[in-house]
Amino acid sequence: MRDYIRTVADKSFSIMTITAVVLIILALVGILFPMISKGSKAVFFTETIEFRKMQFAKFGRGSKEEIESQAKESDEYREVVYEKLTSFSRGINSAKLIKSTRSIYRNYGKSLRYQGVEGSEYANLRRNAKRLRDHLCDAFKATDKEIISKKIAEVLDVKYSQMFAGTQIEQYFTIAKEYLEATETIDLSRKDEYTKKLKELRELLHQLLGPNPDEKTPALSMYRYGATRMDMANIALDNFLWIETWVQNGDRKSLMKVRTPRKESFAGTPIETIFDYIPQNLDKMLLPNKTIYWQYFIDDSTPGHYFGGIGPEILGTLLITAISILFAVPLGIICAAYLVECAKDNFIVRIIRISINTLAGVPSIVFGLFGLAFFVIYLFPIIGLESKSCILAASLTLAILTLPVVIRASEEAIRSVPQRYKEASLGLGAGKFSTFMRVTLPTALPGIMTGIILSISRVAGETAPILFTGAVALGPLPESILHPTRTLSYGSYDMAVGDRISQMVPHNQYGMIVSLVLLIMLLNGIAIVLRTRISKKLQQH
Amino acid sequence: MSNITINNLASNIRSNKAAVSMTRPLLLTPNQDIRGYLLNHVGRFSLLLITCSTVLAVFLIFYFVIKEAAPFLREFSIAEFLGNANWHPEADDAEFGTLAIIVGSLYITVISILIAVPIGLLAAVFLSDIVSFRIRSITKPIIELLAAIPSVAYGFYAVLVLAPWMQKYFGLSSGTNILNASLMLAVMALPTIVSVAEDALTSAGRELRGASYGLGATRFETISKVVMPAASSGIIVAIILGIMRAIGETMVVWMAAGNANQFPSPWWNITSSVRTMTATIAGDMAETPKGSDHYLSLFALAVVLLLFTFTLNLVSEYFMSRARKKAGH
Repeated sequence: MRDYIRTVADKSFSIMTITAVVLIILALVGILFPMISKGSKAVFFTETIEFRKMQFAKFGRGSKEEIESQAKESDEYREVVYEKLTSFSRGINSAKLIKSTRSIYRNYGKSLRYQGVEGSEYANLRRNAKRLRDHLCDAFKATDKEIISKKIAEVLDVKYSQMFAGTQIEQYFTIAKEYLEATETIDLSRKDEYTKKLKELRELLHQLLGPNPDEKTPALSMYRYGATRMDMANIALDNFLWIETWVQNGDRKSLMKVRTPRKESFAGTPIETIFDYIPQNLDKMLLPNKTIYWQYFIDDSTPGHYFGGIGPEILGTLLITAISILFAVPLGIICAAYLVECAKDNFIVRIIRISINTLAGVPSIVFGLFGLAFFVIYLFPIIGLESKSCILAASLTLAILTLPVVIRASEEAIRSVPQRYKEASLGLGAGKFSTFMRVTLPTALPGIMTGIILSISRVAGETAPILFTGAVALGPLPESILHPTRTLSYGSYDMAVGDRISQMVPHNQYGMIVSLVLLIMLLNGIAIVLRTRISKKLQQH
Repeated sequence: MSNITINNLASNIRSNKAAVSMTRPLLLTPNQDIRGYLLNHVGRFSLLLITCSTVLAVFLIFYFVIKEAAPFLREFSIAEFLGNANWHPEADDAEFGTLAIIVGSLYITVISILIAVPIGLLAAVFLSDIVSFRIRSITKPIIELLAAIPSVAYGFYAVLVLAPWMQKYFGLSSGTNILNASLMLAVMALPTIVSVAEDALTSAGRELRGASYGLGATRFETISKVVMPAASSGIIVAIILGIMRAIGETMVVWMAAGNANQFPSPWWNITSSVRTMTATIAGDMAETPKGSDHYLSLFALAVVLLLFTFTLNLVSEYFMSRARKKAGH
């Protein structure tokens, strides 16, 4: 019986260890998979005609003729929708109609005076025009169809008198006719309600197809285009077709999402059909095309991170990393060489070792504070530089942060060079220095490279130390290393919690962090391969 | 015949000087001897000086952080700073009590270590005692990849994936809380714990295991009663390194812990939001003018943080040397 318990305990222990490893691997997959699957959409996605327009306008990519012919093609299908909307809005948007009617009247008066019409003729024309205007305005304000048809009929009577032939006032007759036609099918008592809903509808349509033809070009470039990607288009279409409301679910506190078709709120109106027309013809309006947007890695982004890529961020990360490695690696190798080749186990060496371990244990945010207090505030003014956060300060801070990594890896690599190599060199009469430079260092180089790659990946991913020493979320490309820069790590942080605009573009949000993670994983992969090769090689000796 | 070969060889060597450069003459004049002696020592000394730059770096870090913190610590009482939980640095009647912040840091660290240590140790045992070398050489790099993922990516995941998920399935009002941050920190600390503990377990040696198995012990008994006690120092080092990783981490706790200056209430409520030392420094520093009390208080907080990690470092140093001594004997 006791043996049985022992076996069970033993077996379950083994199973627990396996479970632990499986859990860790699941955590890795569970973290990487959602990020990579969402982030890859920044590069691999289905573009729309809006994307091509944006790329042409912002980066000059694609041929103008092709884009124009495509735009024409898609406009044919869009036209149908816009026409319906315009005629519908003619029937209900009294305020706008009244405004335009009044301005036509004003212009007419001005042009009369300009033409030199004076006296009783002038007064007569004006009076008549004014009467027409008032009739029209009354018609626009009215909700009773009988009044409308009466007023419009009076207006149209004037048309046949040819009194205003060839003048601006002729527009009144078209407006009147159109208004009459438009109101025929609309329940005018719901006019205000429709006006409100129509405005909402136009905004949603803007998200899908870009600015309406009668709208002027928006100042913010993110509103100049419709859905540039099919996934965004589908979301926009969903918003267009469905109204989402949160409803209190009984007595309980939780709110429930209720979806009702937007079509219902326009039931019986002439624009009801567009809710079927748009989903059916979406492809023809947007001309989707599968694409690989590799320029994501070199493009600047505008505005915020809404369009474009992560070029400046990659550049900034590479710059900061390169400079800090330039400082850390030579220093680290010299330290490692001293610790292996020269150091005896005395007090100073023990202090050095404790220092290295302490350095490795200092929290990264404290490095950030130190970089701010020492480099930016203390050192830079002394050596005549401006006291502000910049690439140089960030790089130096990161160099100190990564020094222990370089030292430890190099030390291990130098230590693992077989003793007999050195002895052979020394035996041939070479000095200690040339033995190190010509025998030990070349043999240890792959191991040192591993350390360098690991420290590159550490430096590239660090955020906290550069928060106050050289990173900005948005800004121009740095002119020199004395300017702050955008980096992948800080950019990812900012897009995750700070930046509102980027919440609208999850593909760019995830795209940046995935670029960073993949860059670092790639470096680590190289380091791991290199290390296994070295350990195999050393086993052969 | 043999003469000719030797001659050839000699001329070969003479013409092929670059093969080995003779930097040291075989016979030294007294002058050369002294020069060589001096050069050697000057070289050694300059190398030592360069190596001491690491000591200098540590010194500068402590000096500059403490220097900025000193005016604050002189002006305000340390008891008030550490014992009060009211953190209102920008109020007219500014209060700098960091108790809740320090408790928040420790709380998150403890929870994450409670999650990470059992899993990490089991995984270490799996790598050192259960599987063959081949599976181990595949599994270990996979686990190490977790250490490669930058902390901002963990924070990103915590905010955008885990937090909404928790809100949806646990019905929480906020997805950024102790549990979220602790889970992420646990995953981050795991690779450190696994690799250090695995080294410790492996270096306990085959003889020990062989002797135990020879006496008829099962694997569970061998590991729990023989290997673990023998490797205890190394395992403690692994745990301490995990704690250091968790307590010093900034981005994840800043993004995922909720940044609410409060004690979790009731105290076991791990779904409440807290604020940590690192997150306070990172979050407040950008908004404070240089030289203000608030700015200086953040350096004081950094001193507290440094003291924590430095102490942990010394403790781990002690256990590391104990482990080394054990392995030596």
